[in-house]
Amino acid sequence: MDTAELEAKVIEFIASKVENIDASTITAASKFDELGLDSMDTVQLLFDAEDAFGVTFDGEEVKNLRTVGDIIDYIGKHPPEGKG
Amino acid sequence: MRIVVTGMGIASPIGTGIDPFWKNAVAGVNGIVNIQSFDPAKLRSRIAGEVQGFDPATFLSAKQIEQTDRFTQLALHAANQAMADAGSLESYEPRRLAVSLGSGMGGFSTFESSAARRFQSKSVPPFTVPRIMANSAAAWIATQYGLKGANLTCSTACSSGANAIGMALDLLRSGKADAVVTGGAEACVLPLTMAGFEALFALSTGFNNDPAHASRPFAKGRDGFVMGEGAGILVLEREDAAQKRGAKIYARLAGYGCACDATHIVAPDIDGQVAAMQVAIEDAGMTLAQVDYINAHATSTPLGDVIETKAIKQLFGERAPEIPISATKSMIGHSIGASAAIGSIAAIMTLQTGTIHPTINLAEADPECDLDYTPNTAAQKKVQTALCNAFGFGGNNVSIVFTTL
Repeated sequence: MDTAELEAKVIEFIASKVENIDASTITAASKFDELGLDSMDTVQLLFDAEDAFGVTFDGEEVKNLRTVGDIIDYIGKHPPEGKG
Repeated sequence: MRIVVTGMGIASPIGTGIDPFWKNAVAGVNGIVNIQSFDPAKLRSRIAGEVQGFDPATFLSAKQIEQTDRFTQLALHAANQAMADAGSLESYEPRRLAVSLGSGMGGFSTFESSAARRFQSKSVPPFTVPRIMANSAAAWIATQYGLKGANLTCSTACSSGANAIGMALDLLRSGKADAVVTGGAEACVLPLTMAGFEALFALSTGFNNDPAHASRPFAKGRDGFVMGEGAGILVLEREDAAQKRGAKIYARLAGYGCACDATHIVAPDIDGQVAAMQVAIEDAGMTLAQVDYINAHATSTPLGDVIETKAIKQLFGERAPEIPISATKSMIGHSIGASAAIGSIAAIMTLQTGTIHPTINLAEADPECDLDYTPNTAAQKKVQTALCNAFGFGGNNVSIVFTTL
């Protein structure tokens, strides 16, 4: 999966998880709080993303994730388990 | 001070909503089926009373569903019914509105699924703890309705719902609340929880091919209880205040008694059961002679039903055979912390309607169970004082008394 494809998939995934959001407003630069996610919502989103993308977010590194692009970068650097 | 019931709600294996539940209870409808919610192949007891067709999406958002265990969802559904039934509580201050709920296991569905993930080295859901904690259901009810007074949860195994209703009575009598949302909720038709009860040889294992006849309190051939699930919720308040706001009143919650065996962690004890019933009747300011219906704990275990029968005979003496008894669990199985709340609703409906629901699957009684259990067919009788029993692991014995006004 190339970066553009991954970005599209992550944005599509976030749009499916966040209530009342227009997918076209989500970009790699979107910060979680700008999407209306509080800290617990963000943790829940990352948990759901683990199952969706076959990755495991490291407990410490998660604290540095602020934007949609951070998730895309993280998944890009940590290919799905068993496939990398 | 007189405390009354002004709202009721239920989610049960034989109906969600008071009307369908009661119609099916009176008709003696069986709610025990082969387990649908997971593959029970590894269990010896592969049947249960499950709440069928329950869809939390009809009243919760996707985010709320993610943050709640099934026992909380069942509790919320029953609470929604009870609050709508009770009508507006706006005449009370929010800080005077309390919740007192019972659950034996709490969010064990979440506990089991999160544990399974952990053992597979997967992350656990961030809401694992707030979904599991036993007070989750009470907290969600408070949040949904802005009930800002005391928020209590009682976990006394199979007597949790009865203790919670008794605690609600105490809150009202002591003046610590003006209205209390109370009852019990449980959702432990689950692989690990059931394996645990199996290990104690508490569950029925001989009726996997005939689930409709598995839950058979007081009957010959009973071989253990059938796991159930559900929620029963009552709204309680002072009679004078309820009348003032023009509320519909179902019954009076007149008495509450509890006693601990202090002998064994799981074995039942006659003396403790007698004490709980006696204290509840005294607390109601009534006499033994006034009790004219008993909603029995009656789980369908070989020992438990005999002990309860003996306890009723010991307390009521010669009059015991004249008191109609029925076992709601014969139709829905044992919903642990919800069971006494559901039994209370059955008792209240008996007071309301003059109909006693049957104990089903009672073609032939155990010779040691020789009282009037209202076998197989509903009975018509004007009942004015109903006793509801709940006995739980830990040696907990609880009885509550409901009366007509």
